Amino acid sequence: MADSRSLVDCLAEHAWRRPDSVALVAGERRVTYRELAGMAAAARRRIARLGLHVDSAVGIHAAKTPETIALLTACLLAGRRFLVPSTELGTHTLGTLFERAGCVAVLSATPLERHVHEGWPPVTVVNCAAEDQVAQVVPGSRRGVSFMLTTSGSTGVPKIVPLGMSEVDRFTDWAVDRFGIEPGTRVLNYAPLNFDLCLLDVWATLKAGGTVVLVAPEKATNGRYLSDLLHEHEIELVQSVPMFFRLVADAADGDFPAVRQVILTGDAMPARLLPALPRLFPNARVTNVYGCTETNDSFLYDLPAHIDEDTALPIGRPLPGVDVLLVDGDGVVHDGPATGELLVHTPFQTEGYLGGPGQTEKFVRHQGIRYFRTGDLVSRDAGGTYTLMGRNDFQVKVRGTRVNLQEIEHVLLDHGRVLEAAVVGLPDELAGLRVHAVIRCDEPVSSLALREHCRLRLPRVAIPSAIHVVDSPLPTTSTGKVDRRAISSMLAHTGVKA
Amino acid sequence: MSDAIAIKRFIVAEFAPDARPEDIDDDYDLLANGVIDSLGLLRVVDWLSQRFDVAVDDVEISEDQFVSVAAMCRFVEQYATGRPVVAAQAQRGE
Repeated sequence: MADSRSLVDCLAEHAWRRPDSVALVAGERRVTYRELAGMAAAARRRIARLGLHVDSAVGIHAAKTPETIALLTACLLAGRRFLVPSTELGTHTLGTLFERAGCVAVLSATPLERHVHEGWPPVTVVNCAAEDQVAQVVPGSRRGVSFMLTTSGSTGVPKIVPLGMSEVDRFTDWAVDRFGIEPGTRVLNYAPLNFDLCLLDVWATLKAGGTVVLVAPEKATNGRYLSDLLHEHEIELVQSVPMFFRLVADAADGDFPAVRQVILTGDAMPARLLPALPRLFPNARVTNVYGCTETNDSFLYDLPAHIDEDTALPIGRPLPGVDVLLVDGDGVVHDGPATGELLVHTPFQTEGYLGGPGQTEKFVRHQGIRYFRTGDLVSRDAGGTYTLMGRNDFQVKVRGTRVNLQEIEHVLLDHGRVLEAAVVGLPDELAGLRVHAVIRCDEPVSSLALREHCRLRLPRVAIPSAIHVVDSPLPTTSTGKVDRRAISSMLAHTGVKA
Repeated sequence: MSDAIAIKRFIVAEFAPDARPEDIDDDYDLLANGVIDSLGLLRVVDWLSQRFDVAVDDVEISEDQFVSVAAMCRFVEQYATGRPVVAAQAQRGE
């Protein structure tokens, strides 16, 4: 692969060469490249005044605002590593993550309201207002770690995924070229800023000199708002989890002719939603992209004009530079048509998890190449096209976030009054999947108290949508384990509403 | 019926069928505790706007306004225009 361009060099160049073009749109606000560079330069100076050691990490509270993007840019410019965890994680969990990542401070562009930050490193609100009109953007080191993202699992404390600056540079280069992002290209950003998806829709767009239109998180499930955004800003590229397209399909009156590239990612696309896509986006190429935080994108599939609703949507073929292994249940590596666990190596992948367990079982070496075990079961056909078959453990996806049902059970069972707990994911008309918990207690406990218990230990998406407190013992299988299948069908038949 | 009780009854009926309205503290964080998720929030806004006659399209709304029963009461205080509608509904036994 050719030498990649540096993200921060590109940002500096845009601020110099096209200062008045719009970098960010947030509600009524338009932030030009000059303004973004000025904000980032000011934030960088203010962070420098904190006197933190140059190699030490910081945590970022990533509320979705232009100021936060300026703050992240400031860290990139300074070559400082930074942890961007989900703002939805529990206070205790965040404290543990900041500690594991070695964060000496937590920076936020906005005051942290109604947030307990007990046990966190000191929190500093960094004023990201530009200090002057002329932005001096001098990029710092390109080496070493930049973003530290977290896995989206609910498996205890998420794992920390450090990404080297050169991996980010390579990925953003690939994305810019593959999806034709250019100066002025208007790209919708749906995901929260801590999601790996932002490396494409925010950072690759800024690298190319495009315009990022930020979806306000509090309106992210409002289909009318989303379709208005697509129209008003004549969005050309949109990347999102299936729920977005569902919401837009339900709310939109007409089509979106300006969109020329649709990227489906983060979750399996419901087949019955596929026919809506050519209707909504008549001029768009639709691409299914498969990836995970540890490796970033690794497969893609351009959908043909006619989509067969009865077959699963393939994830397609590996991206250039991606190595793949298919390993069956006996650990045998297969060539040709086969089904097995997918292992991938990408040019964008992490060096490994930081400061926590899970290293050895998830990253394995084969013939000198370091692979990541995705835990996904895939099949490969004779033509070399791959299709995702699902996961054979307790992982489910709730709105694009991987959630482990067994871990939620463990958290509930940690509550002193809970005798039995079963957690299942049930299909939901709008959300795709919702988490339900069935609980038996030795003394009456309200679901409100159980929720408090969960909130301190789980990310928000993993807090069950519905908690059913029952009096009788839960059904069990012949081996004495809680019978999730029986419980799922019981819940499905009683027609509970979340 | 006070606004707070009406709101608590609605929340219990829609989102927490096992709880009693009086179990919900006015300041209980309904969002962080996952009682109301982002999709549920749409139902809450919809219900509040109908029940208390708030023209939500004319109001700049944010998640913080619905974080607790107390916050929703403040929202209603601030934006409700049609108190008579509420009274009429209450008389019909809602």
